Amino acid sequence: MSDYTLGIKELDDAIGGIKKGSNIMLIGPPMSGKEAILNYIVYHGAAKNENAVITVTTRESAAHILEWFKENKLILPMPRIGIVDCVTKTLGGAAVESENIKIASSPVDLTGIGVKISQFFEEFYMKKNTRKIQLHINSLSTILMYSNIQTVFRFLHVFTGRIKAAGAIGIYVIDSGMHDEQAIATLKQLFDGMIEIKSENDKNYIRVIGLSPKPTPWFEYEIEGANVKIVRGM
Amino acid sequence: MVETGIPKLDDFLDGGIPAGKSLVYYNQPGIEGEIFGLQTIYTTLKSGGNGVFIVSSTIPDIIKGQFREFGWDIESYNDKLFFVDAYNPLIGAPTTEKYVVSRPDNIDDFNKIITDLIKELPPSTIVFGSLSTIMDLCGEKETIEAVKTWNKMAMLYDHVIIYNFTAWPYSQETLDLIKNNLFNAVISIGGIAERVIFGQYFGILKADWTKEIKKSMLFRVLRPGGIKLYIPKILVTGAFDAGKSTFVHALSTRAISVDRLGTTIALDHGHIDYKGFSADIFGTPGQERFDPIIKLLSGESMGVFLVVDSTNPADFVRAKHMLEITKTYGLPYVVVANKQDVPGALTPGEIKEQFNLPHDVPVVPVVAKDKIGVFEAFEVLINKITGGT
Repeated sequence: MSDYTLGIKELDDAIGGIKKGSNIMLIGPPMSGKEAILNYIVYHGAAKNENAVITVTTRESAAHILEWFKENKLILPMPRIGIVDCVTKTLGGAAVESENIKIASSPVDLTGIGVKISQFFEEFYMKKNTRKIQLHINSLSTILMYSNIQTVFRFLHVFTGRIKAAGAIGIYVIDSGMHDEQAIATLKQLFDGMIEIKSENDKNYIRVIGLSPKPTPWFEYEIEGANVKIVRGM
Repeated sequence: MVETGIPKLDDFLDGGIPAGKSLVYYNQPGIEGEIFGLQTIYTTLKSGGNGVFIVSSTIPDIIKGQFREFGWDIESYNDKLFFVDAYNPLIGAPTTEKYVVSRPDNIDDFNKIITDLIKELPPSTIVFGSLSTIMDLCGEKETIEAVKTWNKMAMLYDHVIIYNFTAWPYSQETLDLIKNNLFNAVISIGGIAERVIFGQYFGILKADWTKEIKKSMLFRVLRPGGIKLYIPKILVTGAFDAGKSTFVHALSTRAISVDRLGTTIALDHGHIDYKGFSADIFGTPGQERFDPIIKLLSGESMGVFLVVDSTNPADFVRAKHMLEITKTYGLPYVVVANKQDVPGALTPGEIKEQFNLPHDVPVVPVVAKDKIGVFEAFEVLINKITGGT
């Protein structure tokens, strides 16, 4: 049984769990429920697998994210949650750091974002002795709006390497259709697999590539509140 | 001379950075190294100098906020500190700063503003908040050429020019140029990693105006306070009833002891933040029956306080024996001659003789219960640990 699972039973069964050290792209069109899927993975990792969970958020503030979990009655084990908030300061908001929230000054400040990620890693790994850590970045697309592909590649090169060294996993969200093929291909070099989402005829489908010998089949899914439900396999 | 304001770094640099020189803070990604630039410019302002800060990766107001986080009031230096805004134009936002790079992704625009500034302003400390961001926007080769120009001009106009650079995986050629050729001084800032980074250090890779001191110092970032040197473990040991626990509590900002019936049965643990230093202090028990655990307590210490009861020379043998048991022979240590207030106490000179101590071991007079001499002893030991004079 692997230390890392997505929490979506059909997918986990199909890929047999995620190996530690894996870096995974979560790619799909806008408004396909990627946010909900990511939150689901986060919740499952922290609450069910008891992993430490670090989320870098470039679109929603940390407070907003924590609100979402509360509203959906999902209780997060706070000692294992770390959020790097790249949003609040850019909106001119008063940003206060806490045990669970670190503030980065903008999505451009990759150095600063890197520092906060490292600090969370240190806190979970060394101080709290949690060896299983999940890093999520939502989203690389926002970061790519401010920095060019080489810059982001260098940043990811460092942190995907750190994920491997620490035996953690990383999940990175990208909006398909926002970037050219070349850019996605460049980034793909750094990843071990992809969680791919597509929309067809108003239905959403999900599959995983690269983490198992063959790609999984496409599964149709629906988002119900905070739940990701597989409706049927394709 | 421009002082960096980083504890011990100025000593290693023979006082600071001479006018006209260029320096790069070369940061490993993930380490909070950009503070070095901030602390240096604040140090300049405090000593009456002028400062220029080029902001590339965030809004100038956020940088101003960062100064405040460290307890550094820059409001009072408004006429001596200028910000160059190379960020707001990038995201299309309006700016309120006097100096602006209207196209931060165009090295010629950058060049013009910087060279104008260098010529206009009196000798100042010029700090680039993020050279890597400029390199990301304008290109590696283009930025390197510009840096060469800026360094030359800084030399002509007597500025000190400093760059924060995050060593992302640029081309090896670029990284080598930065580490070896482009700057007069290179301060390397990195992390101690074992799977994850858990300690931070800085060291001088190059400083062409002084003999090179290849020393690294562990540091911590305190808010407020800034960069402080971090000594992860100082041991306090000595014979029974010499006053070790009292000494630990006297020295520490906060401390706890595990004791019963007036004697330590496990350890004392204290933490001190003093001047440029942050250290953790561990005190051992003195009674012989606890000797087995003392070795465990003393692992990985960086220095030792050997506390002796100045009125009780008979215990000096036991005290010396503690150095052996703790396996701290070879580490820098200071003898704390405690209980100096009690009649019959031997003077430090007499202790040195009786103890037969090597010439270079300092003996500091202390009255731990009244906190007399404890901070002097601390400074002496820190100097020994950091290899200062």
